[in-house]
Amino acid sequence: MPSLTLLGQSILSGLFIGGLYGLLGLGLSLSWGLLRLINLAHFALVFLGAYLTYHLAAVGGLSPYLAMLLIVPVFFGLGVALQAAFIRFRVGEFASLLVTFGITVVIEAFIQWVWTADFRRLEHATVSLRLGPLFVPLTEALMLAIAVALSLATWAWLRFTYVGKAMRAGAEDPGMAAAFGIDHRRLALLLSGVGAAYSGIAGAFVALIYTLAPAQIYAWIGVVFAVVILGRLGNPLGPVLAGLGVGVIEAITMAVTAPSWAPLVSFALLILVLLLRPDRI
Amino acid sequence: MLDVEGLHVTYGDAPALWDVSLRVAAAELVAVVGPNGAGKTTLVNAIARLLPIRGGAVRFEGVDVTEAGAHQMCRHGVALVPEGRRLFGGMTVEENLDIGCYRPEARRARAESLARVFEMFPILRERRRQRAGSLSGGQQQMLAIGRALMARPRLLLFDEPSLGLAPAVVDQLFEIIRAIHAGGVSILLIEQNVVKGLEIAERAYVLEEGRILTEGRPAELLARSHLRQAYLGEA
Amino acid sequence: MQPATGLVGFLVVGIVLALLPVLEPPAFVESFLYLIFHWIALATSWALLGGFTGYVSFGHGAFFGAGMYTTAALAATYGVPFMWTLPAAGLVAATLGVGIGAVVFRVRRLRGELFALLTLAVTFVLATIVLNTPIDGGPGVYLSGVPIPRLFGSPTTTIYVLGLGVAVLSVATAWLIQRSRFGRGLLAIHDDEDVAEVLGVPTYRGKLLAFGLSCLLAGVAGGIQAIFVTYVTVAETFSITVPLFVVLMSVLGGARHWLGPAVGATFVTVLTYLFVGGEQAVVGRAVTGLTLIAVILFLPQGVVGLLPRGRSRRPAAQPDAPAATAPEPRTASPPRPAAEPRPAPGSSPLLRCDSVRKAFAGVQALAGVSLELRAGEILGLVGPNGSGKSTLINVISGYYRADAGRILFADRNLAAEEGHRIAQLGIARTYQIPRPFARLSVLDNVALAGMFGASALSRAAAEREARRWLTFVGLEGRARALPAELNLHQRKFLELARALASAPRLVLLDEVLSGLTPAEMADAIALVRAIRERGATIIFIEHVMRAVLDLTDRLVVLNHGEVIAEGRPHEVVRRADVVSAYLGKPHAGR
Repeated sequence: MPSLTLLGQSILSGLFIGGLYGLLGLGLSLSWGLLRLINLAHFALVFLGAYLTYHLAAVGGLSPYLAMLLIVPVFFGLGVALQAAFIRFRVGEFASLLVTFGITVVIEAFIQWVWTADFRRLEHATVSLRLGPLFVPLTEALMLAIAVALSLATWAWLRFTYVGKAMRAGAEDPGMAAAFGIDHRRLALLLSGVGAAYSGIAGAFVALIYTLAPAQIYAWIGVVFAVVILGRLGNPLGPVLAGLGVGVIEAITMAVTAPSWAPLVSFALLILVLLLRPDRI
Repeated sequence: MLDVEGLHVTYGDAPALWDVSLRVAAAELVAVVGPNGAGKTTLVNAIARLLPIRGGAVRFEGVDVTEAGAHQMCRHGVALVPEGRRLFGGMTVEENLDIGCYRPEARRARAESLARVFEMFPILRERRRQRAGSLSGGQQQMLAIGRALMARPRLLLFDEPSLGLAPAVVDQLFEIIRAIHAGGVSILLIEQNVVKGLEIAERAYVLEEGRILTEGRPAELLARSHLRQAYLGEA
Repeated sequence: MQPATGLVGFLVVGIVLALLPVLEPPAFVESFLYLIFHWIALATSWALLGGFTGYVSFGHGAFFGAGMYTTAALAATYGVPFMWTLPAAGLVAATLGVGIGAVVFRVRRLRGELFALLTLAVTFVLATIVLNTPIDGGPGVYLSGVPIPRLFGSPTTTIYVLGLGVAVLSVATAWLIQRSRFGRGLLAIHDDEDVAEVLGVPTYRGKLLAFGLSCLLAGVAGGIQAIFVTYVTVAETFSITVPLFVVLMSVLGGARHWLGPAVGATFVTVLTYLFVGGEQAVVGRAVTGLTLIAVILFLPQGVVGLLPRGRSRRPAAQPDAPAATAPEPRTASPPRPAAEPRPAPGSSPLLRCDSVRKAFAGVQALAGVSLELRAGEILGLVGPNGSGKSTLINVISGYYRADAGRILFADRNLAAEEGHRIAQLGIARTYQIPRPFARLSVLDNVALAGMFGASALSRAAAEREARRWLTFVGLEGRARALPAELNLHQRKFLELARALASAPRLVLLDEVLSGLTPAEMADAIALVRAIRERGATIIFIEHVMRAVLDLTDRLVVLNHGEVIAEGRPHEVVRRADVVSAYLGKPHAGR
């Protein structure tokens, strides 16, 4: 049995990785739940954002956070363009999975072409707070805070604004929504842009916290899909809540058994949900 | 007010309506009756622009809306109470009503419209935070009507509002339709409950196998044999 | 039987490749070709389930990995001779697949992307288990000490030949399945699983068998790959890129065609391994990705879909001919003598419903329906919208299971039978909105019913029979068309032909006339008469009352899920309660 301090530190790091899962899952959940498109390219966009942040900061000398601010509007545009293409070619739910996989491969090739397959690490000053016996790395803490804040903001947006309600109505019944003046296509462009912007934000934090390699694009796909399903498709609070839960359980599993047992948690949960409550998805 | 001329609609390649013409004057209550499968719902959905029109024209207050998109129809002042209600089941009662007044002009009058809807259907006020999908059939129908009224329509399309409701609720429903009409809204009512539909209509059309069979005042229609023939196949 | 030119060509290529080692090519050529074979085997085996039934698995890596680790563990740890590990690798993978399928295929909602996700999750669970148990334990397994038998010369050559063998075996399996009765059933599952089941296709068993075969081949391919790479790690084996690339290859080539995955696998492998190193590798990847995007958007059938449809040209010249010269005049004499001579209506009951109940989310769709159907009669079933007519048909045909009550047909209680069993007992139906199998030709649609329905014909016999039924409904000229190329009334007639081709004793007709023009209606009514003449019993659901009065021997009226009237048609429609159910009740006291 590990010591209490070790366990506390594990739970803390579980919360941080959970925040990342939530941040990665948010855009995916929105596009799957509200647009019925499974956007695998989300992960590629995250890494494109990470490499751009790396480049602007390490080569261009910008602050990584300023780089993030520059990336977000560009990515919003990318998301809008992607959705416009989906509408133009009438891409359905399943085809979207394959098309976006193709896009992922292309983006991966692009990353490899520009930045090579070597590992890249953005060197920057990392600060940690001491909280009693625990260390709190500030970058991770900021990422968690932003993940929670974005989820709450998205939730409020969908819940309290006319545009948000229209988005949900359009996802349930586009025809009926149209009968009340809702142009679901235009809202879909907006939502897709927002999802892509989130991937840009997530990418900046990935660059700040992790070592980058093109093949890493595929590393989190499984667990983030699990988090998205566990959190219920289209529910903006779902990914971050499920992410935190999965992250903490993973961290405890790692501390109590061996780190390599961790993936069992999220995937066993996912299998159970799929088998027992398929209607819930 | 509403002027449909020579409407031709196909489902895929199957013709569903042939050369259908009908008119609804301002503040008029017009019913379209006919047996199941006659094309009544197709007619409403075509007018609401939820279905593509193959031929003919739809004019609303003199404006040609044949080419308009579905989301533009409500700007013209047309609202729909669809068959099967088609509420946004995952959203609350109040959110459904908010979708009703999504159009900017309707949104400005939200408070007033909401008060009116809640006055008409007090139960919706009680259940405002409840998910629409959890309401009973009758309450769902009220919400569907309330949602349409929030759009402040000048023409209201009712598609089979009595379908699947208990007889007592049906009576109540027709009182409400009458009251809305009395408030100056034009109504096009699609109904398979012929007796009920003709009871409150000022004028009616009989639709059979995708064509208008006849039109006239309800009393005249009931006297003629077309109706029984259309429904029960009697000569 | 058509000549199997495609397969013969493929086998010739296979034999030539098998003779290649005689020329003693450099080892890297053999290794490179082996990699192509490896991916052909994986992609083709994946498509046995994913392509034919449309159940897209993202778990192919798990089964491939199971095979890999079986060989690794048996050969490296326990010293089992390599060749003996290969059947074990296949069996372990197949057992795993069948075990998973036995659970997953019972959940109706787990189709499409949810099935994909579930199988992906299985991959990661398996990976975690392998990583943390002595099977691997973390550092990976070395097979460098495992002796490779010199069956065909050098070890490289042996691996080359084994790889070629499993690739050829996979493609030949796909070819066999595609041409078999079983394969037709799988393709039908892809287009509309529920309709397939109701037509008599044992969908559960079919999916399980396809999944088992798919995993078996993947496992064997994995076993060979283990000895090829000599060092097996969890991270490499169970990565998400394996299933993604397998899907990519199959879709690129055309997953529904036996040769499609092989074409896609060759294309992608050549692109990936030919451009090795630096910039070139990047170009290869980018081209792969762009090709996938282009194929999905512009060529949903895959590259193989570009080939001229040999299938559609050849038969036009050959098997169509006998049908055209067939002695039967159109819509005249029924093709086969009645299954039983037509009994006088009114004799023994063929079907009996005893207080059948069915509720959906609290709404009682059938509130205790009891009725009897006599052999040889046409029973009309009418009622307002939502009165439960379609639910009753769905319960009788086995799509829904009744909550309570019994449905007796041929001494069996249908309420306890699976859909395909009911079809095999001799019940067929049509759908109000036609539901043909969209990617099967008109002929194949009809032949499917003959293969899986009560008559259980061989494929060739079913196709002959199907041609006769198409002639019967006047669609003989459209045998090779796809359903989407038909208009509504032709699609309705196609459904009729499909229902009849299974030689049913009971036909359930759900609004055959709706949406038809008056002239087409007259044709349809004549057809229903002809069906009855050949001895079938019919339940006729219809809104067009003239036709109901015209055709039916007896009429049952449903309202709110209950039988409110039953009797001679002309009498029933005069009854006051029936009239008010249709026309509505006047307001009380008005």
